[in-house]
Amino acid sequence: MQKLGDFKLPHFFNYPPYFTLQPVRDTREKQVQLWKDLILDYCKTQKIFVIGLEEDFALFSNPVIERSLSHEAREAFLSALVSEGRAEWLNKGHRKCLILWHRVQDWADIIFRFVKDNGLEDSVMTVEEIRSGIESRGTELHGIDRTILMRALRVLEQKGKLAIFKGTSADDEGVKFSM
Amino acid sequence: MMKEQLATFRIQLEEFARKHKNDIRKNPAFRSQFHEMCAKVGVDPLASNKGFWAELLGIGDFYYELGVQIVEICLATRPHNGGLINLQELCILLRQRKSDREAVSEDDCLRAISKLKVLGSGFEVISVGKKKLVRSVPTELNKDHNEILELAQAQGFVTVEEVERRLSWTSGRAIDALDTLLDEGLAMIDDGHRDRKRRYWFPCVSSNSTPVADT
Repeated sequence: MQKLGDFKLPHFFNYPPYFTLQPVRDTREKQVQLWKDLILDYCKTQKIFVIGLEEDFALFSNPVIERSLSHEAREAFLSALVSEGRAEWLNKGHRKCLILWHRVQDWADIIFRFVKDNGLEDSVMTVEEIRSGIESRGTELHGIDRTILMRALRVLEQKGKLAIFKGTSADDEGVKFSM
Repeated sequence: MMKEQLATFRIQLEEFARKHKNDIRKNPAFRSQFHEMCAKVGVDPLASNKGFWAELLGIGDFYYELGVQIVEICLATRPHNGGLINLQELCILLRQRKSDREAVSEDDCLRAISKLKVLGSGFEVISVGKKKLVRSVPTELNKDHNEILELAQAQGFVTVEEVERRLSWTSGRAIDALDTLLDEGLAMIDDGHRDRKRRYWFPCVSSNSTPVADT
């Protein structure tokens, strides 16, 4: 099986027609499903949060079979993820896409467990510490995209589990947990 | 006396079956020979799931289960190949599912499929060129379609130009046939080659397990 680093690529990735948007509806549906699953899977294992449509995203081409996804195809697959709530366009031009391989609610749950696991129920932490502090190492939170983190924190804030506040320095947002 | 001879054969066959029950279950070649022996004396061990043979060998179950798995695999692969699957590939997929205790041969598959056919399930084995394909959808393939499939066996795909040239068809005839195959889900288009020619790929003639590279 072909690999991309550690990642095992599915068989369809080596079958040239899957790199061309299929005109027949049923075939297209199958194609889109396969690509959606692959993109989510890959981003999850590689901890990729943003895909730039015009950038060199590894899945967009397969040099072994000399095929690449057209811009239209890339947009089609990512749009399908957006429709499903597993991704969001970061701008109107559909150039960059935020990938939610965990939904925002899932991230909120992960943060909740993280706080409990580390006995931080009444503590204060900076947002930066949550994503790069010592406690985050080895957890899924380590290196999480800031936009996604803020969204998840706001979900928890709405439920009264924490409060977000501006810190002493201009760029230092903090969180007071009350779980 | 014919009747007596046949009765003797049956008894001998039953003894054989009893003695070699394990071999029959585990060894496809053995199994195939056993079927031939049965056929010679007019015995069909698969005629019914109950009765002497089924109980003695449990062989009815074997083919029944195989049939069910074949149906499952055909359904699962249908979105990819349009309901037409290479017999070889089907066997590979079946072997992946079964434990190693019971090997599965192409002969076994064909028998299980013929049983399915009897049930009126629309399963059929067709020959295209050198290969056998298992059809699990009502789509009837006409001669033009068959010829294209046969042509596609060489590289897994064809181009319109190639069809015209090799089969001496008009452009219209080639495109018609290819479009039908496309609509039926038996073909997929590929516009990505650097020579800019559209290729029509046929999943049913390729094996999923081998990566395809065409330069």
